[in-house]
Formats: sequence, C-alpha cells, structure tokens
Amino acid sequence: MGLFAPTRQETVEDQRLYLDGRLREIACLDCLAKVKVKKNSEHHTAVQWTDVALGHCQEFARLSGQPGGRPVYETCSRLMASIDRAVAEGELEVGAQDGY
Amino acid sequence: MSTATTEARALDPGVAPARYARGWHCLGLADTFRDGKPHRINAFERKLVVWAGADDKLNVLDGYCRHMGGDLTQGEIKGDNIACPFHDWRWGGDGKCKEIPYARRVPMRARTQRFETAERNGQLFIWHDPEGSAADLDILPPELPDVLTDAYTDWSWHTKEINGSHCRELIDNVADMAHFYYVHFAFPTDFRNVFEGHTATQYMSSKGRPDMGQGGYGDENSTLKSVATYFGPAYMINWLEVDYKGFVTEVILINCHLPTSPSSFTLQYGISVKKPEGLDEKTVQYIAERYTESFGTGFLQDVAIWENKAPVQNPLLCEEDGPVYQLRRWYEQFYVDQAEIKPEMVDRFEFEVDTTKANEYWHAEVAENLRRRADEDAATSVEA
Ligand code: FES
Ligand SMILES: [Fe+2]
Repeated sequence: MGLFAPTRQETVEDQRLYLDGRLREIACLDCLAKVKVKKNSEHHTAVQWTDVALGHCQEFARLSGQPGGRPVYETCSRLMASIDRAVAEGELEVGAQDGY
Repeated sequence: MSTATTEARALDPGVAPARYARGWHCLGLADTFRDGKPHRINAFERKLVVWAGADDKLNVLDGYCRHMGGDLTQGEIKGDNIACPFHDWRWGGDGKCKEIPYARRVPMRARTQRFETAERNGQLFIWHDPEGSAADLDILPPELPDVLTDAYTDWSWHTKEINGSHCRELIDNVADMAHFYYVHFAFPTDFRNVFEGHTATQYMSSKGRPDMGQGGYGDENSTLKSVATYFGPAYMINWLEVDYKGFVTEVILINCHLPTSPSSFTLQYGISVKKPEGLDEKTVQYIAERYTESFGTGFLQDVAIWENKAPVQNPLLCEEDGPVYQLRRWYEQFYVDQAEIKPEMVDRFEFEVDTTKANEYWHAEVAENLRRRADEDAATSVEA
C-alpha cells in the first residue's frame, strides 16, 4: 500500500516503536481533550492529537474564530500546562529509551 | 564477555511507490508560459504540453495527440487551442478536440487527458490525482499578500534536475534538525514540527557557523527565523526573517518539485525579498540577488547528499532527531486513494526537538576548529 512499502519485518517493528512507542495518554485539565504524549527531556515533547481531541479544545476553537483562522503553529497553552503538571505529578515519565 | 551485543543493522530500501502523489504541483512562473509557444513539461513519467490561448488562459494537456500520437509540445497555438504538428487536430484546454480542419466532423470520443490548472502568486499549478478526482481548490497554497507588488522583488526562479533520488528525500528535510549544522553550516537553536491535515511545517531558528563563512544558512553574521510549510506533497513556502548584523530582511522562498520518475525529480525554487525601506532600487536588487545565491547554495548542499545516499525505509534515530517516521506517515496520505487515508496520517502532531546537547557539542567543535585554524595561521605567518 501507498508509499515505500518496507521489505523487512523489522522495519514494521521500527515503525511501531517510533510512531507509537511510549506514548502516554494525557487528559487536558481544562477541557475534555485527551492526547498522547511522549517526553524525552524537559525541552522535548511529542504530542499526538486526534480529531476528537482537537474538537474539544477551547483554545483552538477560539483561535479558529480569528480572522484568517487558526495558525497551525499555535499550540494549546492549557494542554501544555496539563503536560507539565502530569510530569510534576509523576504521571508522565521523562526520558528516552535507547536513544528515542 | 557479558557485553550485550546486537546484530548489525540492515538498511531497508523499501519498495518505491507505484504512483505519483495526489495534489497541486507547481510548474513554474505563469508568465513564462505566455510567450505564444507551447511548452513541454516532464512530470509523472510523462510529457505534458502547456500553453496560453488567445484568451490568455493557461492550459495543460497530456503531451501526445490522441489521433496518431503527434507531439503537441512541438505544435502551434491556433486561437485558444493547441494544434498538433502531425495532422493539425486542434485541442482545447478542456481536453476536447475542437476542430479537425480536413474532416467533416470531430469524433465524439476525441478527448484527451487534461490537468486542471490554477494560478497563485504568479505561479502555475496543476492538480494531479491518479484516481482522477476533481481539483480541490480549498487546498491550493495560500495567497501571499504583497508579493508581486512593489513591496517585494519579482520572483527569482530556478530549476534543477535531480537524478538518482525519489522526491521523498527532499521531504525528509522537514524533520531533519542535525543536517542544518553538517550540511548547511548553521546551528539550529530551536526546532519544532507540526503536521496537520495536508500541511507539514518546520519552525527553526538558526545562527551561522563562524568556522565556515559560507553564504546561505552558514554565515556567522546572520541569524535566521524560518517557518517552512508544505502545502500538499510538492510545494513549500518558507517564510524567512534574516537578521544580518542587526539588519532584518524578510525573504520568501518557494521550494517545489515535480516528480519525473521513481528516481528523479525537477526541483524548482523561487525567491522574493521584501524591499527594505529607505534603500534605492539597485541596492535592493543586490540584496535580493545575494539571498537568491545563498539559498541556491543551500539547495545544492542538499543535492550533493541526495545524489549519493541510499534510500532508507528504516532510519535509525537518536533523541536529537526530528520525527522522520511521523513525517513520512503524513506524506503517505498523498500516495493512497482518498478513501484509504487513515486518521493518523492527517491528525495533528506536534514535536519539539531538544537542541541543548547538540548545540553544546557543536559550539565546542566550532571553537576547536577556530583555535586550530588560528594556530595554523600563526605558524604560516612565522614561516613567512
Ligand atoms: S497525430 Fe495529431 S493530428 Fe494526427
Ligand atoms: Fe537541507
């Protein structure tokens, strides 16, 4: 299917590792959005949204109301605060495994 | 020995896709096609003919006449139509044969493949979809306000054929933090990606390396704030704010490509510079040319890598690398039928790279390079 099909079984496992490995579900403390997060260090963050989560986010809804629509670079500060909180409370582990 | 060992890793070259991406593809500056002649464009492993009719509208058809296969790119424009050099069948921009001068009537089935066209920011786009869907005007790249007015320099446009790589190599750059240091001679200080819908964006701040003294990203006197967004599979707008010794210039860089085969593509890039206020036209042109040159150099730096690297379907990543796998997952949406697009290919994904450790190491390396060079200079001046 689609783009560059892997020729090795190991590649499929790599794809799983890099795409889904260690993603933890984090709930926003201010809305109903639930996203998946991975954090390798204090500065590194990966956030996987879903359509449903995006629909719940008030901050994004507000940004979408602006003239010109929601700028794609804007992130939700409330969600970011929720992630920081999850780290502080030990719910979200920070650190890479074997370099990723 | 109790040291854990792992097997040597193999590179998975993958199997290249059997189709070309769905989406808007830029053919170049629109006006270059308005010279009263038909133009040939190679794309998607075929030949296309581009022409502007008497009505000034730009049209794109498959390059071969459906009568006996004449090469329409060698034909002639007659009125609004393209006339085949072989037997003068006249084809309209809607793909229909409008006239066969020597025949009583045109066969009903005389219809060829056309590509829907659009013009944006002075550039010509065509919609390509192996499924044959209608062009999606909602996902055309955005209008750039003020570009093509007096506030910006005219597009400086360049074309380069790349052989020996699939165009995906070019896309991978979006998520590649570390190559900016090694290939483009700059310290990437901040690096972030957002993929959402049909767009993939890279946010980067960088500062030139003082040990290379090259143009482009690698000038030690310049810092750069860059936002680069792919709108669909083949067209990127890069908004750049270049601070050169405190003098800030806004530059818009277009980076687009047309795949020509599974292992080649035509790279096109264009630059328009916001004219700094208070400068005369000559100085403004000079500045624009310098930026054109230096970003052109930047592309050539990438090309040298692409032409020699192996295709890798299973890149091995470290913590400081960007989200290559997620980027490729995003890119895949353009290679599957529209009904096969999975949510995760288009769902919003944010990724911020931690560049702390990398920049610590790079600054130390550069300091060492500068020290070594100073020693060498001192030695030569003693000899002299
Ligand atoms: S092949 Fe084109 S007119 Fe005959
Ligand atoms: Fe690059």
